[in-house]
Amino acid sequence: MAFSEDSGCGYQNFNFFLAEKKSAKAVADSACSWPGAPGVKLTARRSSLDHYFPSEVLLGIAGKDFVILAASKAAMRGPTVLKAEDDKTRQLNKNTVMAFSGESGDTVQFAEYIQANAALYSMRNDTELSPAAVANFVRGELARSLRSRSPYTVNLLLGGIDPVSEKPHLYWIDYLASLAPLPYAAHGYAQYYCLSILDKHHNPNISLEEGLKLLGLCTDELKRRLPIDYKGVLVKVITKDGVQEIPFDNDKIVRSA
Amino acid sequence: MDKLVAQYSRPHQNEMYSEQEQQDLTASVPPLSLKFSLPPVDNHSAFLRAMTDDHSNPSCPIKLAHGTTTLAFRFQGGIIVCTDSRATAGNWIASQTVKKVIPVSRLSRGEDKKTDKPTPGLLGTMAGGAADCQYWLRYLSQQCTLHEIRHKRRITVAAASKILANLTYAYKGYGLSMGTMLAGMTPQEGPALYYIDSDGTRLPGNLFCVGSGQTFAYGVLDAEYKYDLTEEEALNLGRRAILAAMHRDAYSGGFINLYHVKEEGWVHHGFDDMNPIFWKTKLEKGEFSNVTSAL
Amino acid sequence: MSGYDRALSVFSPDGHVFQVEYAMEAVKRGTCAVGVKGKDIVVLGCEKRSALKLQDTRITPSKIALVDDHACLAFAGLNADARILIDKARLEAQSHRLTVEDPSSIEYITKYIASVQQRYTQSGGVRPFGISTLVVGFDKNDSTPRLYQTEPSGIYSAWKANAIGRSSKTVREFLERNHQDDMDREQTIQLTIKSLLEVVQTGAKNIEVAIMAPGKSLEMLPDDQIESYVKSIETEKQEEAAKKKTRTGTATAAILTRPGGE
Repeated sequence: MAFSEDSGCGYQNFNFFLAEKKSAKAVADSACSWPGAPGVKLTARRSSLDHYFPSEVLLGIAGKDFVILAASKAAMRGPTVLKAEDDKTRQLNKNTVMAFSGESGDTVQFAEYIQANAALYSMRNDTELSPAAVANFVRGELARSLRSRSPYTVNLLLGGIDPVSEKPHLYWIDYLASLAPLPYAAHGYAQYYCLSILDKHHNPNISLEEGLKLLGLCTDELKRRLPIDYKGVLVKVITKDGVQEIPFDNDKIVRSA
Repeated sequence: MDKLVAQYSRPHQNEMYSEQEQQDLTASVPPLSLKFSLPPVDNHSAFLRAMTDDHSNPSCPIKLAHGTTTLAFRFQGGIIVCTDSRATAGNWIASQTVKKVIPVSRLSRGEDKKTDKPTPGLLGTMAGGAADCQYWLRYLSQQCTLHEIRHKRRITVAAASKILANLTYAYKGYGLSMGTMLAGMTPQEGPALYYIDSDGTRLPGNLFCVGSGQTFAYGVLDAEYKYDLTEEEALNLGRRAILAAMHRDAYSGGFINLYHVKEEGWVHHGFDDMNPIFWKTKLEKGEFSNVTSAL
Repeated sequence: MSGYDRALSVFSPDGHVFQVEYAMEAVKRGTCAVGVKGKDIVVLGCEKRSALKLQDTRITPSKIALVDDHACLAFAGLNADARILIDKARLEAQSHRLTVEDPSSIEYITKYIASVQQRYTQSGGVRPFGISTLVVGFDKNDSTPRLYQTEPSGIYSAWKANAIGRSSKTVREFLERNHQDDMDREQTIQLTIKSLLEVVQTGAKNIEVAIMAPGKSLEMLPDDQIESYVKSIETEKQEEAAKKKTRTGTATAAILTRPGGE
C-alpha cells in the first residue's frame, strides 16, 4: 500500500518531480486543494505563440567572476502597465538566479515551481545545486511540459556561480526547451538591439564595473529604439559571495541621433 | 475469539479497499466539492466564446454580465477600494445596483450585522464575469475562514491572493473571466493589495484599476496619487476617479461604492448615486465643462 | 496469544492499540534528545551514538535535521523511520511556501508531522513510526521561540523545555528543576548540555547541539565549543561537590568539638 504525500491539513497533494511521478502542472492543479478533481484536463489552452511577449527585456552578461541579469520592470496586460516595479527574477539557491518572461501566469508559476524544487534538493542533500545542474533540470522540466497538454510559455535566463569552481555560468533557455550556455544573452526584441553591442564590446575577462557599463550601453540603445517603455530594468549580480540587487540608473535621458 | 481477530487482522486485509478509498477514509479533511460538469465538447473555451461572445456574434444565446470600473490603492492610512455598480450584458444594462466589493473571510461578521465599527477581514473586487467573481470569491472566503479556524490566526493577504491565483491558473484556458483586487491589512503585512486575474497573474502593488473603464480611472488617479494622502483626500480621490470612469465609460455607471480598509478592518463609506455627485462636482468645482446646454 | 497486537487497527478489549505502545517503547530505546527554549532562542541537544572505529563520522547522518530554513527537528527512535518522516515534512514545508507564499508556522509543520504519524496508526497493513520528534524554530516576522513534541500516536504538544528518548524522564525532571523563563543564549545552551550530561556519560564527543535564532539559519555548535561547555560544567560540578565536602567537613568538626566542649 502506498500513502500519498498529502496531510489532510490543507496544502496537500503537492508533487515534486523528485518525489512523485505526476506532471509539473499537477502543482497548479493541486495547489487549490481539490483532491482528485476528476475529468479536469487542461485541453483548452491557447496556442503558445499568441501570447509571447517580445517587448519584455531580459539581458544577461557573464564576466570574469560574476554574472549580471537584468529584467524589465513593467508588468503589462493589454494597453496597461499594471505595475512598474515588477520583479521578473527568482533566486533559486545561494548562487543561482533565474530571470523570466512570457505568458502571464505561467512565468511566476513555473519559476516558483523550480525554486521550490531547488530548495527541496538543498534541504534533502545538504548541498547547493550548481548552476549547470539547475539549468539542465529547468530544461528537462520545460521539455516535459512542452509535450504535455498545457506547456509553459516561458523564456528564461539563468545565471550563477559554480560553488566549487567559482566560475560564472550563464544559460539561455527558451519555451521550446532549448538550452545554450553563453557569455552574454538576451530574450525578446532586446536580442535584435543588444546582441550586436555585446558582440562588439564583450570579452570573458571583463570586470563587474565594465559589465555594468556594458549593460548601460544596451539599455541606452533600448531606450533609444524600442517603441515601448519597459520602465527600466531590475539588475541582479551574482558573485561568489551571493546575489545582490544593484541600484541602476533608469532615469537617464537618452537622446536619439 | 482468536479466530475472529485473525480474520480481521490479516496483513492483506487492505486489498478490499482501493488506494483512493483508503485515502478518502484516512484523510482528515473531506474533499471540497469542486466537481463541475463540463459540456461534451473538445474545446471548452471556444465553445464558451461561441455561446457568449457578442462582438463577433451579436445573436449569441448567452450574454454574460460584464463591464466595470474598479479601483484600489494603498496610502499611509490604509487602502481605498472603490467601484461602480453597473452590470451590462451586451448593450443591455442588466443592473445598476450591483455590489462589486465582496467581503472575504468571516462571512458571518460582514454581511448580516450592521455596525459603524470596522469589520475584520479582506475585501475583494469584482470585474469581468459576475458569476465567476462571485463564485470564486465565495470559495476563497470559505478557504480563508477555514484557515482562520485551523491556524487560529487571520490569513495573510499574500496567502489568500495566492490561493485565488493558483485557482485561476489551474483553470486557465477554460474561459474564466475575472480581474480581482484583494485588499486587507494584517499585523504581519500592514496594508496589502494584490491584483489577480484569470490568466493566473498575481501582482502586489500600490495602485490598480481594473475593468472596461480602467484607463479613465487611471488618468485621474495617477495624476494626484501619492502615498502620503490624508484619509479625507484619499476617499475623495477614489470617488472622483470612479466618477470619471462612470462618466466616460458606457459600461460603467450607477452608484459609487466606497470602502476604506484600516488596521482594525474595513469601513463602508457609502453606496451613492453618481448623478448628484456628478452635478455637484460640475457645478461647484467647474469640472466636466464639456457637459453644457450651450450651443 | 491474544491477537490484539497483531493487527494495528484493532483495539484490545481494554482500549489499547498495542502497536502504538510498542512504537513508544522503540522511542524510549532511542538516544536522548533535548529541546530548550530561552528568551529569544531555542536550542536542540542530542546524544550521539559512539562511532565505531572505521565509521566516517563526518558524513554519518545527524539526529538533527533541517525541515525548512526556519524550522528544525530532532528525533528519538528508529533512524530509518525518521528519515522518511523528515522527508515528508520537508516536502510539505516547500509545498506550503509554494501554495501560500509564506513559510509555514512551526505549529503547522508539527501538526503535519503528527497527522502523518496518526495516519499510520489507523490504516491497515502499515506500522507506526517508531519515533518522537522535537520540532523547533521561529514563525515568520516573529521572535517567539517555538518548541513542540510529536509522538508515534500522533499526539503533539508545546513545551518550554522537554526531552525524548532514553532516560528522558530523568532529563525532564532535571529540566523541570532548572529551567527558567528569559534565559539568554549562553544560559540556554548551558542548560541543554547540562541536562544531556545527566544521561550521557561519555561527555562532549557524544553530544551535538543546534541553535536557532529568529531570522537566522540553523547553527550547529562546533565540537570544540561543546567541549569547553562540558569542561566548565564539569569543573562547576566538582567545585560544588568540593564545597559540599568542606561543608560536611566543618559540620563533622563541629560535632567533634561539641563533646570536647562539654
